[in-house]
Parts: sequence; C-alpha cells; structure tokens
Amino acid sequence: MYELARGPLMWVAAIIFFAGVLYRTVQLFLLTRKKQRDLYTAKPVKKQEATTLSPAERKMNLVVAFQNSLIGKNPIMAIVSFVFHFCLFVAPIFALGHSLVLYESWGISFISLPDGLIDVMTIILLVCGLFFLLRRIVVPRVQSISSPSDYLLLFITTAPFLTGFFAYHQWFDYKTVITLHILAGELMLVAIPFTKLGHMVFFFFIRILIGSEYSFWRGNRTWAT
Amino acid sequence: MSKFLVSRYSVLITQYYMIGDSMQEVDTQKIKAMLDQKKARMKICLAACASCSLCAESCFLFMSNNKDPQYMPSYKVVNSLGRLYKKKGKATRVMLEDMRDLIWQNCVLCGRCYCPFGIDIPYMISFARSILRSQGISGVFPHTLGAPEDESVDSQDPISP
Repeated sequence: MYELARGPLMWVAAIIFFAGVLYRTVQLFLLTRKKQRDLYTAKPVKKQEATTLSPAERKMNLVVAFQNSLIGKNPIMAIVSFVFHFCLFVAPIFALGHSLVLYESWGISFISLPDGLIDVMTIILLVCGLFFLLRRIVVPRVQSISSPSDYLLLFITTAPFLTGFFAYHQWFDYKTVITLHILAGELMLVAIPFTKLGHMVFFFFIRILIGSEYSFWRGNRTWAT
Repeated sequence: MSKFLVSRYSVLITQYYMIGDSMQEVDTQKIKAMLDQKKARMKICLAACASCSLCAESCFLFMSNNKDPQYMPSYKVVNSLGRLYKKKGKATRVMLEDMRDLIWQNCVLCGRCYCPFGIDIPYMISFARSILRSQGISGVFPHTLGAPEDESVDSQDPISP
C-alpha cells in the first residue's frame, strides 16, 4: 500500500491537481473579458484630493479605512485565517522530510526549514483548524450556513497535517501513519480544483483580476456573461 | 414562511398571496433555462464561498436586527440561488415563497456587502430576484397592499423595475 500511495497514486493526484487548476484558470479567463477603458478615470480626482488634505485628515482617513477593513472589524478571524493559510503553504513545501523524498526520487536538493520550526507551524495550523471547527459549531451566524461539506473540507485540509505530526513524532505504527499521511495529502490535492477548496484559484481571480469595489489591484477584467 | 419576520405585515402578505398566486404552477423549465444561462459563473461564485461568514458585519440589516443570521448576505444567497442550483430548478411554489422573504424583505440591494473573496453578492441576489419574478413572485411591501394599481407599472412587479 505504501509503495502504491507513494508511486502511481501520487502521480494521479498530482496530474489531477495541476490539470484541475489549469482547467479552472482557463475557464475563468474564458468567462471574463477585458474591461473597456473608462472615459472618466479616477486618477486626477484622487491626486487633487491628496494635495488638499491636511496630514491630520489623511491620517484620519487611514484610521477609518483600517477600522472598516477586515482586520479592524474581525481581528481574531483575520489573523487566525492568515496564519492558517501561511502555515498551510509554507510547512509542507519546506519540510525536511519532503525534501528528502524529493532528493531520493529525483536527486533534486531543495531548501528546507529546521524540523522544530515546521513542527511548531504544524501545531499552530492544527490549533487554527480547531478554532475554525469550534467557530462553526458555536457561533450562530457560521452555523447557519455550514453544510456537512464544510466540516468535511476542514477535515480534509487538516488531516495531512495531523498524520504528518504523528509521523514525525512516530507515535503510532510508523508505516501505517505515513501511508495515511500520503493518502490524505493526495486527497487534499484532488479536492482542491473541484470543491470549495478551489478558492485557492478563485481568490486571486475574483479579488485581483476582476475589477470591483474591493479589488486589491486595478482589476481590468470583467465578467463576460 | 413565518419562520422569519413574524410581523403583523408578513401575516397580511401571506394572506394576500395565499389568495392570489399560490395556485399557479411553477414553470421549472423556464427556471432551469434561466439558471443555465449563467451557470458557469454562478457555480464558481457559489463554490468560492467558503462559508466564513465575514460578510455579516457589512450588512446594515444584519447589524440592526440583533445580528440575526437570516440577514447575513451569504445566508441569503446560499438559501435562494444556491438552493435553486442545488435542485437544478425543480422548485416548488412554497420554496419560492420562502425565498421571497429572504431576497426582498431581508435585503434592500444596497450593494454594500463585503466578501473576502470578492464575490458579487448583490448581482447574485438580483439574479435570484429576476428568476422569482419570472414566476410571478415579487416583493410586496405593506404600503403597496392597499394602494390603487398604477397602470404604468407592471402589476406583477409593484416595487422594482
């Protein structure tokens, strides 16, 4: 089972993941088109405003903007979700064990972070996951829109980290745990393009490329339909 | 229906609609055709929602109604348009009547909802409204109940154009 999970199933999962992400990207590009340039641009107005404002007023604008932002309104949730996603990306990519597997298979040596740091990041991620779970159960407004799939996806996301934590500390039967770890990771990769975890792709598109009031960058695309 | 907004007005509205429209058949074919028109985009928007509920604070109706989850933007979308997509358009009249409260009474389409993923919530609610309007269901507000019919306005749609 270990050989199967490490060999062919890993290939299948990786291909499905990359093909799925590519499919989603192409689909999003086809669904949107380039925006026509506005006749009246906001730029000159902004410049004029900036020069007429006094430093105190400018500072007040910043304070108000901060208070109305996500981190000002929901500081705990904003910080926890940022930390969660940071650990979610950094911990698996820079784990020493993963680098070793890569070196043994293909002879590529990849940089890695110290084991202790990765261990702490895994614990932080699991605690953040627990926070999300409790929030889903306890807070009425989250509970009202939670479906079973939300709980399942939270489990799919945290399962590779939980099993990886057990595998690193060799708590249970190592061979079983590491096989479960690989399978859980593959399950997550397969789930990303086709479930709500797809916000890995959608986020950058909808928030950055497609123009809206809240786009991070000058979004110069718009929905075609 | 009386699950939300048990006010003296909603009872009036229920009675008004019980007499009028509840006997009409729902044209599921038409609903499905309308849903399919924007299927790809709407499916992505619904899938991008991670049910994080961070849109709640941006809705002034949510803030002014004791933080009742029924007023949360994502709740309104998931339980109207999301339900229609889940059932692939096979809606019953009772289901559509339930949605009317969500997307007319609980939402004024001010467009102030903030979504961390940038999902266009007002667009989705207005799309759900146009689907319901195609079935003869639209928002009825207390002051229009006794008012004489204005001939220049579509009688099925007293409020919004």
